[in-house]
Amino acid sequence: MDVTNIAELTGNLAVVGYGLAAVGPGVGVGLVVSKTIESIARQPELAAKLQVTMWLGIAFTEALALIGLATPFIFA
Amino acid sequence: MSNQDPAGALFKQVLIRGSILIAAIALIGGLVGYLVAAAAGLTSALIGAALALVFVSLTALSVAIGGRLPLGAFFGIVLGGWILKLVGFVLVIGMLKGADFINGPVLFFTLVASILGTLAIDSVAVLKARLPLGRD
Repeated sequence: MDVTNIAELTGNLAVVGYGLAAVGPGVGVGLVVSKTIESIARQPELAAKLQVTMWLGIAFTEALALIGLATPFIFA
Repeated sequence: MSNQDPAGALFKQVLIRGSILIAAIALIGGLVGYLVAAAAGLTSALIGAALALVFVSLTALSVAIGGRLPLGAFFGIVLGGWILKLVGFVLVIGMLKGADFINGPVLFFTLVASILGTLAIDSVAVLKARLPLGRD
């Protein structure tokens, strides 16, 4: 019996990787910001401290995004 | 450290120390890159370090500038800046990829070393910072 190809995907799989590299940090930054807003709503007097802590959280998730998006340089 | 604006002093300290670290990584990366891939390695290390400096510093700057504004403007500047920065990063990567004067691994590892190094500096600076509880 002949094998019939009913669906075919073409293109570069790396593009899916770039997408995933954006999804993870996107969710991460969303969580960091939503929790910061929640915390400021609960305790507005801590806003300055929470903003600085939020920056650290964003810096870490951003590092993941930058590293993920730069991988074409080694995996190409 | 100024008593007038402790958060501003923190960001100034982070930017200065981060720039010094990235300059050192550019120097070492440039030397290693030159030994590995001659001129392309040197260029790649310098470009990788410069990219890390620009994109990491912009985050700190956006929080430092946004921190002086009302809360809505703060989140707008930080998150809007984040999206613009990542789109810019993708465009720069797209332009550099496949260029003759680039050695991929040297650029990647310089970039990663710079990012991880500045993360360490950021973490230590925030942990040691004495920030007031109140907001101006």
